[in-house]
Amino acid sequence: MALDYALLVLAAPASGHSSLTAVRFARALLARGHSLQRVFFLDNGTLTGLAAAVTPQDEHSPLQQWAQLAEEHQTELILCISSALKRGLLDSTEATRHERPGATVHPAFELGGLGLLVEAAQTADRLVTFG
Amino acid sequence: MLLHTLSRSPAHSALRDCLAVLGPDDALLLLGDGVYAALAGSEAAELLAASGAALFVLDADAALAGVRERLLPGATVVDDDGFVALSERYSRQLAWY
Amino acid sequence: MTAAARKSILVVSRHAHPGSSLPRSALDTALAAAAFDQPVALLFQGEGVLQLLSEQDSRAAGVRNLRKVLDSLPLYEIETLHVDAAAAAAFGLDRDALPAGAEWLDAAGIRALLARHDHVLGF
Repeated sequence: MALDYALLVLAAPASGHSSLTAVRFARALLARGHSLQRVFFLDNGTLTGLAAAVTPQDEHSPLQQWAQLAEEHQTELILCISSALKRGLLDSTEATRHERPGATVHPAFELGGLGLLVEAAQTADRLVTFG
Repeated sequence: MLLHTLSRSPAHSALRDCLAVLGPDDALLLLGDGVYAALAGSEAAELLAASGAALFVLDADAALAGVRERLLPGATVVDDDGFVALSERYSRQLAWY
Repeated sequence: MTAAARKSILVVSRHAHPGSSLPRSALDTALAAAAFDQPVALLFQGEGVLQLLSEQDSRAAGVRNLRKVLDSLPLYEIETLHVDAAAAAAFGLDRDALPAGAEWLDAAGIRALLARHDHVLGF
């Protein structure tokens, strides 16, 4: 039976490799015929959306892996806005609002409120957390 | 009937807190540094075996940590597809980290 | 959406708060669920029980007072705080040290709580 999944990522992309595990889990569930509409990044997980992250060439980049997933499967990648702002992750709207030099969030990600996590939980058959 | 996932090493309080609620109907998947809890002969592995929960270890992380050949005999190694299969079978997941 | 179709969330908070941002994220998540009329409950487990100590004064530290957030929960109709009784005992906390009306649960009670929610979020 095909299930609707939602993922919650709390792990920072550069501490350990939990973020990469989460992307692999996302790909594996899609390969098994399930759906994944939204991934919500909260707390230190929001650092995943930092556009300027540079990963050494011999390692997988969590940023690129998530962005590719979103492009291939139309999965929404949402960064919790309050967690993101505290960590310097701003889109152009927030950069203007807070008088910062420019956007720091990768375009594959969007800022959004916790209501989007709640909404995902309402509709999802499975909510899997990666801390 | 819960799928617990533990991603911190046995020295961390995550293991103790997980053990406090882990029941015989549950499954526990060890990932990240959590794979060290399945080292055969270790104190953590004995506690996990005594819990009666079904034990699983994520293959990529066991390989990364170099523990694949040293796992508790009762632990089952699963790949990413197996991880998803566990999440199908157990409708609730609780992450310990 | 009918009441029967709404999925319930249990937020499990197990980190001590001054050293981690997770407790705040856990409370924010519970508040958001309540604001959207989604059934939600909170369990304070392990070191998470320490978040419930009264007399928290955050002025010198210059951060937000977690107790004030906790105290706002009833406004969102989150009435019951579930407490890991074994963890509270291990920290030498008796019922007087923690909010009145908290529900103290042993391991079996915690397992029952986990089993009666649709989604469990560990913070």
